[in-house]
Order: sequence, then C-alpha cells, then structure tokens
Amino acid sequence: MKLLRKNIGMIAAVMTILILSLIAYGTYSVSTQGNRWFASGANTYIRQMKRDVIAGDIYDRNGIVLATTDAEGKRIYQEDAGARRAVVHVIGDTANNVGYGVESFMSNYLYGFSASYFQKLAHALRGEKMHGSNVTLSIDSNLSNYVASIFPAGKKGAVVVMNYATGELMSLQSFPSFDPNNITENVKTDPLQPFWNNATRWTSAPGSTFKIITLAAALKNIPGAVDKSFECSGELPVMDSIVRDAGNASHGRLSLKRAFAQSCNVTFANIALQMGDERLKEAARLFGTGDYFLFQDIVVEDSAYPTAGRSDKELAWTGVGQSALQMTPLHMTMIAGSIAYDGVMMEPRILQRAVTGNGEITAQMTPKHYLQPLDKTTADLICDYMVEAVRSGTGSRANVSGHRIAGKTGTAEIDGQEQSNAWFVGFIDEPQYPYAVCVVVMEGGGGGSVAAPIAGKIFSAITGASTSK
Amino acid sequence: MAKTKHSPQAKLVGTAALFTLSGFALLALKNLDVQTALMALVVPIAFIIVCTLIPKLFPADRLLLTLVNFLCVLGIMVLYRISPEKGMTQAVNYGFGVIFMIVCMLIIRHMHRLKALVWLAAATAVVLMLLPLAIGKEVNGAQAWISIVGVNFQPSEIVKVVLLIVVAYFLSKRRILIAISYAGVCLALLMLQKDLGTALLYYAVTLSMLFASTGSFALLGGGLAGGAAAGMLGYSMFSHVKRRVAIWRDPWFDYNGAGYQVVQSLIAIVNGGLTGVGLGVGNTHVIPAHDTDFIFSVILNEFGAIFGICVVFIYVMIFLRGIAISLRCNHRFHALMALGGSLFIAFQAFVIIGGNIKMIPLTGVTLPFVSYGGSSLLSSLGIIGILQGIESINEDHIAADAMMATIGDEV
Repeated sequence: MKLLRKNIGMIAAVMTILILSLIAYGTYSVSTQGNRWFASGANTYIRQMKRDVIAGDIYDRNGIVLATTDAEGKRIYQEDAGARRAVVHVIGDTANNVGYGVESFMSNYLYGFSASYFQKLAHALRGEKMHGSNVTLSIDSNLSNYVASIFPAGKKGAVVVMNYATGELMSLQSFPSFDPNNITENVKTDPLQPFWNNATRWTSAPGSTFKIITLAAALKNIPGAVDKSFECSGELPVMDSIVRDAGNASHGRLSLKRAFAQSCNVTFANIALQMGDERLKEAARLFGTGDYFLFQDIVVEDSAYPTAGRSDKELAWTGVGQSALQMTPLHMTMIAGSIAYDGVMMEPRILQRAVTGNGEITAQMTPKHYLQPLDKTTADLICDYMVEAVRSGTGSRANVSGHRIAGKTGTAEIDGQEQSNAWFVGFIDEPQYPYAVCVVVMEGGGGGSVAAPIAGKIFSAITGASTSK
Repeated sequence: MAKTKHSPQAKLVGTAALFTLSGFALLALKNLDVQTALMALVVPIAFIIVCTLIPKLFPADRLLLTLVNFLCVLGIMVLYRISPEKGMTQAVNYGFGVIFMIVCMLIIRHMHRLKALVWLAAATAVVLMLLPLAIGKEVNGAQAWISIVGVNFQPSEIVKVVLLIVVAYFLSKRRILIAISYAGVCLALLMLQKDLGTALLYYAVTLSMLFASTGSFALLGGGLAGGAAAGMLGYSMFSHVKRRVAIWRDPWFDYNGAGYQVVQSLIAIVNGGLTGVGLGVGNTHVIPAHDTDFIFSVILNEFGAIFGICVVFIYVMIFLRGIAISLRCNHRFHALMALGGSLFIAFQAFVIIGGNIKMIPLTGVTLPFVSYGGSSLLSSLGIIGILQGIESINEDHIAADAMMATIGDEV
C-alpha cells in the first residue's frame, strides 16, 4: 500500500502539472498572438462592432488624414487617388482584402475595443454610437507618394524606408498597388496580386544583399579575413554546378573589401565553403532568420535559412544569397539598419499613438531593441564596406553627393523567371538622417542598374527635403 | 462532519446557486419567456437539493459533490443559452446522471457481494463496444455511436466505468496480464471505431493505473513506447488524424476551410478578453461544435479568461479530491479505482481544453460534466459515483476505527 500511495502521488503530480500547463500555455499564446487572432479577417465580432462604433481616424506622421469616417459611417480615404494607392497596403481596406492592414490589425483602437466598460456603458445609456480612437502612424504619406511615382510602372516589387534608430517605418510599399475606393474585378483577378503586401509577406532569395550576412560570418569566423586577399578566376566549380560572377566577369586578385564592393560571387562562395553550413546558418540566425516574428504593430512573414539537401553546392550558392533562402524586404531593411545602428536591430514600428475621443492617449510609441546581431566594431567595418560598394562598386547609382551612403546590391536569379529580381538595401550613415532603405523590383533586372537608382532618388529626397526646411 | 448553519460548504453551495440563478435570470430577461424564468428557479433548487441530500444518505465528499454539480449546472446554463432545447435535454440528462451516480455509489458500497459480476460486466462491455461496428453510424470520422429505441448513445462512454472497475479489480488481484489484455481489447475496439480521442483517454488511464499498481518503470516505458508506436500507426493509417495534426500546426493556413474550427475557437477566446463579452451576447453560433467539443471556448468567450482559469482550477480540485480519496483507501482495489476515475476526468478535461486553445491537436472528446450529451454526462457522473462510493467506505472505516479506539479506551 505504501508503494502504491507513492506511485499515486507521482501520477497526481504529473497530471496536475499537465492541467496547470493549460493556463500557462493559454496565457502565453494569447499575450503574444492574441492581437493577431483578433485582427484576423475571420473575426465576425469585429464586423459586428463596425456597425455599432464610429471608427477612429488614421493620420500620417505629419497629420495628413489617411482615413476617416463620414456621417453615414462610410470609410473615406484620401482624395487623391495616387496618395490612396501609395499607402493602401499599410492602411488596408474595409473589406479586409489586404490582410493585417492598420484597419484590421489596429481595430482594437479604431473600434474602441480597448475602451473601458464604464465608457461603453455610458454610451449605451445615452444611446450614442461610440467613437473609436484616432490613430497616428509613423508613415510619411508624401514620401510614400514620391516613392510610388518613381517605381517602374507595371512591375511587382516593394520599397521599405525605416528609421533605423527608432524602428519607425516611414514608407512601406508594395507594387502593384490598388485603389481602395475602386476595387474592380480586374484588381481581384490580376496575376500580379495587388492585394498581397510584398514588403512584409513575400519571401524570396535576396541575392547578393545576403553577402552582408556572409561577410559578418567571415569577420567572426575567419581570422585575419580583413587582410586576406582572394583570387577570382571568374568561375568556381562546385560539384555539378559552376558559381560565376555577373556578366562572367573575372576579378583577379582582390581584397575582401573590394570583393564585397564588386559583389564577387566566387570569393563569397569560397568563404561560405571555408566556414561551413553551421557557421553561416548561425550568422543568419543572429540577424533574425528563422525567428518567429511577433512584432507589436505589424505582421511579418518569417525568414528562413534553407535546411533541406545541404550539399557544398547549396552552401556555396547560399553564401551569395541564392538557393532556397527566404527573406522579406522588411527583414532585409532591418538587417541593413542593424549595420547602420552600431549592431542593434530595432523592432519595426508603425503606430505612433492612439488617442480616444476624450483626448486620452491609450498608446504611445516607444522604440524597442529587437536583436543585437553583431558588435559595434564589426558593424562599423561592414558599414565601411557598404560605403565602398556605393562609392566605387556595384551600388554606385544609389550615391548622393555630399552624403555618406552605404548599400549593397543584389541580383537574384529565380528558377522559372526570365529576368532577375533587382534588390538594393542600404542606409544613410549620418545621425541626422537615420534611414535605411530596401528596394526590390521583381523581374526588374540587375540590382545595380534598376534598384540602386530608385534608392538613390529616395536618399536624395530624404536629405534634400530635410535640408530645405 | 456536523453541519453548522454557516459552514463553508453551505456558503459554497449558496454562492453557486446564486450564480446559476442570476445567469438564468439574465437569459430570462433576454428571451422574455416563462420557461427560462422557471429554469432560473428550478435549476438552482435542484442543485441545492443534490448537494445537500446525497451527503445525508451516504458519507460523501461534499466539496467534490458541489464542484461536480456546479460544472453540470454551468453546462446546462451555457447550453440553454446556445439553444433552449439543448439546455432542457441536458437538464433531463443531468437528472438521469444523478440517478446513475447514486447507482454507482451503491454498487461500490456493496461490491464485495457482487464480485462474480466483474466477469459479466467485462463481457457485456466488450459486446457493447462491438455494437457500433455492427450497427453504428459514422459521426465526425468515428464510428462510435449506436441508436437503440431512438436513443443515441456512445457505448465507449459507459464502458469507461466498467473498464475502471475491471482493470482495478484484476490489478488489485495482481493478475496484471488479464488487466492489460482487457484494456488492450477495449483499445483495439476503439481503434476500429476510429474513436481515437477516447482511445487516448483509455490508454493514458490504464497505463497510469498499471504503473501505480506495479511501480515498474520498465512497464511504463514499454507502455509509452507502445503508445507512441500506435500513435504513429494511427497517424499513417487515418487521414483525419493527419488532417487534425496539420490543422494544429497551422490552423491559419486554411482559416476558412480545414482550420475554421480552431481559428474560430481562438478568435472567440480573444474576443472574450479577461472578463468576457457577457452571457448571451457572444457570437457563439460561429464556433463550430459549440455545444460539445468547443464549449470551453464559448465559456471563455462569454464569461472571460478569468472565469475560464477558475474552471480549470475546478478540474484540478476535483482531481485532487479524487486523489485524496484514493490515498485514504485501505484496499488496493479501491485506491486504483479512485486513481483511474480521477484521471479519466482530469485527462479528458486536459485533452479537450488543450485542443480548444491549440496547445495540442484537437481530439473529439467532451468537456466532462459541461458538454452536451447524455452518454458523456452519465459516464462522468458514474465515475464520480464510484469515487463517492469509495469515499463512503473510507468514512465507514474511519468511523469503525474511531469506534474501536473508544472501546479500547473504555477497556
């Protein structure tokens, strides 16, 4: 009997822990993902609330009204069609065609779900419709308009402009765009999928922009890598494939810095092979690849380092940003931002504040450190390399004279596509303009020739606009 | 235990009755009909009668009795809110359940005269389990239901009670092989019925009883390995198991199709927040199977997370009361039966609540005492009857010991 009682005690302890773990798991998952479940298009409760509550207004960072509600309860967006289209992926639309736009993801503010019971009761007793909170975003509507105006017409792609010191998103755009006031059948059936937010929810191989991560891994794992010189014969046979350089160039003998600026595939494939898969994967992990992104303001697809069939051939191609790597434009912006901001990666933010009808502030943006993928010394070194890439390398067309611009181009070849995806990620390395930019033009061609000039124009606009103040 | 005028027990019963009264009163204000208003009186009164009368008939565990009955009337209330007809049916089920509970108490109290019946019960249970395969109908991918003279029921629910008695009996007689074989036959029949949720329960409970009885980690390890192998086999054999696991991993992938149930459950939970949207005003109709598998999500939606956590704690308390009964037993047979009964309730609650909050893949078992369904309510209350019967024997022993002690003093 004594032994039996001891065993019963053990079983009871295990079972009790199991049941109590329900509470722990439930609390954890609701607190980390509850707002995502709530804002989902499948939530019928929001639809029901929308009939009873006057939705709050949405402003950009300069006070421009992006969305408001008229007397009949209809949602009104900006008057200018171009301006409407430029921010539609951030704002979303009332029919929730764009998943996780502000209209749905911030609905707890806009529709006053976060209001107290007394407020709700007071409104119910007075027989008035309740007013949701007004929401101010970090988005810059004018900058977004400008970006939309310079993006190649008819192309699919994305542009992100982020303040790397605070994480505030100034522009978050996906192309092609659509007009929320005029959603036609053509928009719904367009093969380019205008509803999809390419900046946050499209993942792909980022091409040579990934060399930032390969470089960070090399600086950590290969002693004296900075002073080494590398030999590029133009091609590197690995198993049954040959790693070549763009335009079949042969760079000859070159330093690590020049190899980065010239975006030498042979050198970086060699570096990847020399380090091995684990070390490269670890570097990518430090930059957030493989993380479960649970950002407060924004839903971002997770990035992934390939895991299947890791042969030397796959490793070599991963080192130059090809193979089955999956990264979003927003994540690449954050990576560039971490190089600019002394190795600290900020969490991307969109909501600046939410204010109730009574003027009570219910949410206020505070910058959040997300990760520290590398130390300041390494970050400064990579920053120098990226400046070199813009001054006298593949990213030269992103340069703005009189400013210190850093960047990296990428030309990602995707199976089944006629043309490459053109990438550019970079930033202004000046404290008064703490902005990182990512430009992707899908099937656009070369990163240096197509994406870099767009980034250059954005850099000029940011620095020019500010100096004229 | 003498009952004083304001014993904690009386306060607990009174509070629970008041809760039920106000809940039904709220529904009466919403429905504006006589039936609901009557329910607001009848249900709390029935609750008070059950909670106070039974301890007068037998020495029973009052806290256990009150908690279980509270969950039952909570179930009736939530079901009545979902659909008055279902609430009424469940109230009738509850009546039968209480009778069955008393019957089970009596059987256990007088078990020493009924030992020959163990074999008979075991055989009857196997026949019952074979019936759905012969004349059953398929519901949600499982062939576990039969219909006799217009009454639908799930034999595997009632067999739980028999299994408990049979396995505990043979284990207490150290006839381990017979116990394992019998549980194995029941499990195999459940697998054939494709009722994998119930199979999981049977498996976990019998394995725990086996371990408690033998204390053998080798047997426990072997049992776990066998279970894992059976799980793997089930995963590869049954397409609906694969689907459930895929949905569990990412219900949002197909949130309007395969993942709809779980997604709506999660949304209902967050819509409820800490304090709930309020009884009668939630969007409960959008949650599929809101009266059976997902009734806990309805409770979280309308009563809120704080109340939901309290419900989880009620299951913990019910379980621990059962374990306390088990630890006080003088006979191995009773101790094992009380352990198995407590585990049936606790593990079933864990499995379905875990499925509702997406902690584990969803298996279609009911939330004990709360979900709609006569078979399930009957078997859960039957198990409580077993626990109470054992408790009454414990009390008798304690009383006898006390008597002996007094006689000793006098001598």
